[in-house]
Amino acid sequence: MRRAAALYAAGAVLLLAAAFPLFWMLSTALKPSGEIFATPPRFVPLHPTLENFQRLFADTSFLVFFRNSVTVAGATVLLTLAVSSLGAYSLTRYRFRGREAVAGLILLTYMFAPIMIIIPFYILVKQLGIVNTHLALVLSYTTFCLPFCLWVLRAFFQSIPLELEEAALVDGAGRGRTVWHVVLPLALPGLIAAAIFTFILAWNDFLFALVLITSEELKTLPVGVNDLFNATIVDWGMIMAAGVMITVPTVCFFAAVQRYLVQGWGSGGVKG
Amino acid sequence: MRKSALVGWLLLAPSLVLLGGLVVFPVLYNVWLSLYDKHAFMPVQSFVGLRHYRYFASDPEFWTSFYYGSVYAGATMVLQLGVGVPAALLLNEAFRGRNLLRGFVLFPYMIPTIVAVILWKWLLNDSYGLVNYLLTSAGLVRAPVAWLGPDYIMTALIVTSVWQFFPFVVVTYLARLQTIAPELYEAATVDGASAWRRFLHVTLPQTASVLFVIVLLRSIWMFTKFDTVWLLAGEGGVSRYIRTLPVYAYARSFTYLQAGMGAALAVIMFAMLLAATAVYFRLFRTEEVFS
Repeated sequence: MRRAAALYAAGAVLLLAAAFPLFWMLSTALKPSGEIFATPPRFVPLHPTLENFQRLFADTSFLVFFRNSVTVAGATVLLTLAVSSLGAYSLTRYRFRGREAVAGLILLTYMFAPIMIIIPFYILVKQLGIVNTHLALVLSYTTFCLPFCLWVLRAFFQSIPLELEEAALVDGAGRGRTVWHVVLPLALPGLIAAAIFTFILAWNDFLFALVLITSEELKTLPVGVNDLFNATIVDWGMIMAAGVMITVPTVCFFAAVQRYLVQGWGSGGVKG
Repeated sequence: MRKSALVGWLLLAPSLVLLGGLVVFPVLYNVWLSLYDKHAFMPVQSFVGLRHYRYFASDPEFWTSFYYGSVYAGATMVLQLGVGVPAALLLNEAFRGRNLLRGFVLFPYMIPTIVAVILWKWLLNDSYGLVNYLLTSAGLVRAPVAWLGPDYIMTALIVTSVWQFFPFVVVTYLARLQTIAPELYEAATVDGASAWRRFLHVTLPQTASVLFVIVLLRSIWMFTKFDTVWLLAGEGGVSRYIRTLPVYAYARSFTYLQAGMGAALAVIMFAMLLAATAVYFRLFRTEEVFS
């Protein structure tokens, strides 16, 4: 009995530590400005209101940033899944000299933190003529997600018995159709883990977005929201509303597929 | 070349082109760049050899950044373990609501850095922040603390970062805990070992190798962390009290526009990590850990 009580007490402390700051963000976002600065502070808004959100949408370019982030993250997920599925399939189904070495080298590229190559990266992107475009962001995020996704998908593809594919091939299905109808569905948990990892990385990134994007109308959420602090008077209600808006897609995406993520996490690890 | 080998390379080609062009090439280009004086935007450059490296060796700003960076990486790594390991042990016990709690604990790690930072800037706000309100009303401090002022900005940064990244330790450690054979605990219990002794003699040896990896990865990632640090204080003002090496490299490249200098800093950071990793392996990677 005492043991159970101790467990629940510890659990409550952990819950508070992890989730309370987020609750406080939501609570502040829903408060009218008078309540935000009230002493003593109220944990639950007395008169909840959406005025902070309305100000955020009407007075700032938040919705433009939001659309940009969705576009970039979405395109990154699609491109990364396509490229890494092809690569992982090659690494598990075709024999060629140097295959294992290549797989090892791919993992090695995972070691380089973006900050350590951002300078040559910027110069390169500028020379390619794609600086200040979403394409530059999509390509950088895809590249940085690739090692993880290739390794996760490789592990999943390896676990799919070859006999299933051979059976489909014998039945007259082409290689492409076999992969599409047999291999990919079986590797779905891996694809989902890779998709979440990629989405979170693209949705969260600040450094590349800061360095590669200069036009106001092309900025993504992290940079755009940080600019809200440039105002003379910091509008905390509006900033908390922005925080809520950025968090919602991640939480939804995550809640929908949580069990797959834990699986993928175990097989590869997440960087950050 | 056999047809199947050709197809194999073709399928791998998009990955190799991206990784080669956007990671491997920039890494090499970075080393080359560090030997030049180069403007970040203009196409002017001149070869200077190792001058940048010599410059940093006696640059007080560099050594201050190195000091702040080490304090930051060291403190956050230890605290992440201090919070993360007990949390993982708790989440490995059976109790109602455990799965829900496991989900909640991941929140800080999943949300974007910008959200974690604005959240803590608000909680730690000197006049209206909840933390100062709670501390003053509990009588723990007499006057509100300027958490984001020069004296406490490093504390604020450490708190924010530990909160943001401890879930990684929880998830990774928990994954290993779940694979420990229950027989080991049963045997220890039969022998009359207390919970503390079971942790010491069963859990800890079993999880030594995962702890080895967690410490390594978290130290490297905290040492190269840019966004959390930069977002908390921006440039100018109190930011110089938390200017770690990544932020210094960024400032050299994109504020002072000295791309060559920035590149040299990146090379130095990489060399430091490599050296530290080698020492770390020497010290701790014993047969015992990996058996």
